[in-house]
Amino acid sequence: MNRKEFLSDCSRMGFAGIALSLFPWLESCTEKAQQELSGERARIGIIGTGSRGLFHVQHLLQMPNVDVVALCDNYRPHLEDAAQYYPDAKLYDDYRRLLDDKNVQGVIITTPLYLHGRMTLDALSAGKRVFCEKSMAFTLDEALEVYNRRKELGGVLLIGQQRLFDPKYIKAMQMIHQGVIGDVVGVRNYWYRNNNWRREVPSPELERHINWRLYSEYSRGLMTELACHQLQNGSWAMGMLPEQVMGSGHLVHWTNEDERDVYDTVSAIFTYPNGVNMTFESIISNKHYGMGEQILGTKGTIDLVTAMHYTDEPAPKGSGMDQLIAQIESGIMSNSVFAGTSWAAETATLAPGIPIMPNVKVVSGESSVGAEADGSKELLEAFIHAVITGKQPEKVLEESYYATQFALLADMAMHENKILRLDDKYKVPYQPLKMR
Amino acid sequence: MKDIVFTKAAQKREFYIWLVCFVVANIINVISIIKFQTPWYEIFTQIGYVVVTSLLLYGLVLVVRLAWRIFRGLLAKR
Repeated sequence: MNRKEFLSDCSRMGFAGIALSLFPWLESCTEKAQQELSGERARIGIIGTGSRGLFHVQHLLQMPNVDVVALCDNYRPHLEDAAQYYPDAKLYDDYRRLLDDKNVQGVIITTPLYLHGRMTLDALSAGKRVFCEKSMAFTLDEALEVYNRRKELGGVLLIGQQRLFDPKYIKAMQMIHQGVIGDVVGVRNYWYRNNNWRREVPSPELERHINWRLYSEYSRGLMTELACHQLQNGSWAMGMLPEQVMGSGHLVHWTNEDERDVYDTVSAIFTYPNGVNMTFESIISNKHYGMGEQILGTKGTIDLVTAMHYTDEPAPKGSGMDQLIAQIESGIMSNSVFAGTSWAAETATLAPGIPIMPNVKVVSGESSVGAEADGSKELLEAFIHAVITGKQPEKVLEESYYATQFALLADMAMHENKILRLDDKYKVPYQPLKMR
Repeated sequence: MKDIVFTKAAQKREFYIWLVCFVVANIINVISIIKFQTPWYEIFTQIGYVVVTSLLLYGLVLVVRLAWRIFRGLLAKR
C-alpha cells in the first residue's frame, strides 16, 4: 500500500480532516506533512540486516526521500545481503562505529531483543533519531531507562507497533470508541502456529546467534515476539492499562529440537481496573485457529485481524404474518411426545458478520518476518518523516512502552507463578488513544 | 362434452365468498400485528401476504363446499 492508498483508505473511513485531532500520530500521512519534507532526504543507517531488517529494506526502497547510507551486522552473510540493495552504503560490524558516523541521521534497529535497549540508549545518546523493533527492551528497568532517556534528550523514538498505522485497526478502534459494540467486556487474543520457530543454521556455533528467539538469554519468547503487538490492542480498545497479570507457560512440544528454554505454550490473563479481562494464548504446535484479536462488547464483537463486525443484537424477526406462520410451523413440527432438551451446546454463532471497510487486507500471522499491508510501511514512513522534521509522533511511544512492560510482566508472572502488578516506579504518563 | 356454465349469479356468489376470506385474512394480519407487536403499516405492506392467505382460505372453503356437495348428492341418491 502506498501513501495515496493509505490516505484513500483513511478518507474512505471518514477520517479526512479530523485525522490530526483523533490520530495525532498519523500526522506524517497528511498532505501538509508531506509538503513539509519538500525534497529533503533522510540519511538512514540500519543496525541488524537479518530477515526483519531486509523486510524494512523492501519498504525503504519504495520511499523517494530515503538514503540508506550505512549498514551494520556482525553476521557477514546478512550484511552482504543488504549491501546488494545499497552498494554505496558504508558497512559496519560494530553498531557503535555506525553511531559515530556523522552522516547518519536516523537508525533502524532490527536486532535480537536483548540488544534493543542498549542500542537504543546508545543511539539516542549519539543524537540519532531511532526506530527500534518491538519489544522496546529486555527488562522492565531497561524499558524505563529508554523511555526516560528519550524524554530527557527530546529525540525521536518509534517502536515497531505497526497496528497503530493499519487502517483497519484505526477504523475498528474508532467504532469501538463510538460504542458500536457497546461496553467492552472482554479482549481475546491468540496466536497459533505449527512450526518449530527455528531458522536454518549454517554451522552449530551460530545456533544461538541465528535462533536467538529460542533462548531466554536473548529473548522473552512468545510474549515479546508475538503478544506485544496484541496487548497494545487491548489498551487501545479499553482506553486504559491493565492492573494485574497472571499466566502460565510451558515448553510442551518442541523439546527435542534443540536446547531452547523459552515456552512454546503460553496463556496469560490481564485484568483492567474495571474488571474486564484481556487474554493472550499462544501455542506453536497447532495452527488451526491462526491469529485472532477480538474485542468483545455487550452489543457485538469486532475481529481486528479480519476487520469483521459481528452483532449480538437479535436479527429482525420479519413481519407479524411471518412470525405467525413460523409459530404455526414450529407448532406443527414440534415433537409433542418428548420434552425439549434441558441443555444444548452453545456453539458459536454462524452469523457471517459485516466487513468494517472494503478491500481489507488480512494478515495470517504465520510469517515470522512480517506481512504486507500490516501498517509496517506506514510506520516506517512516519519514522522517515520524524527523522527529517525532528518531530516525535504523539502518544505512540507510551503505547509501545506499556505493551513492552506488560509483555515482560506476563513473562515474569509465568516464571514466578504469581499474579503481578506493574510497580509504580515503572509508570509513565499515559493518555489513552480515545477516538470518539 | 358438456359445457360448464358459470352464471353471473354464481360469479357474484364466489366473489362474495372470496371477499369474506379477504376480510378474514386481514383480521389475521391485524391479530399478528398485535400479537407480535410489529408496526401498523404492515396492514398495507403485507397486502400481498393477505391476498395469498385469502386465496388459500378460499381454496379451503371450496374444498369443504365440494365435499359437502358430494356428501349431499350421495344422501339424495339414497
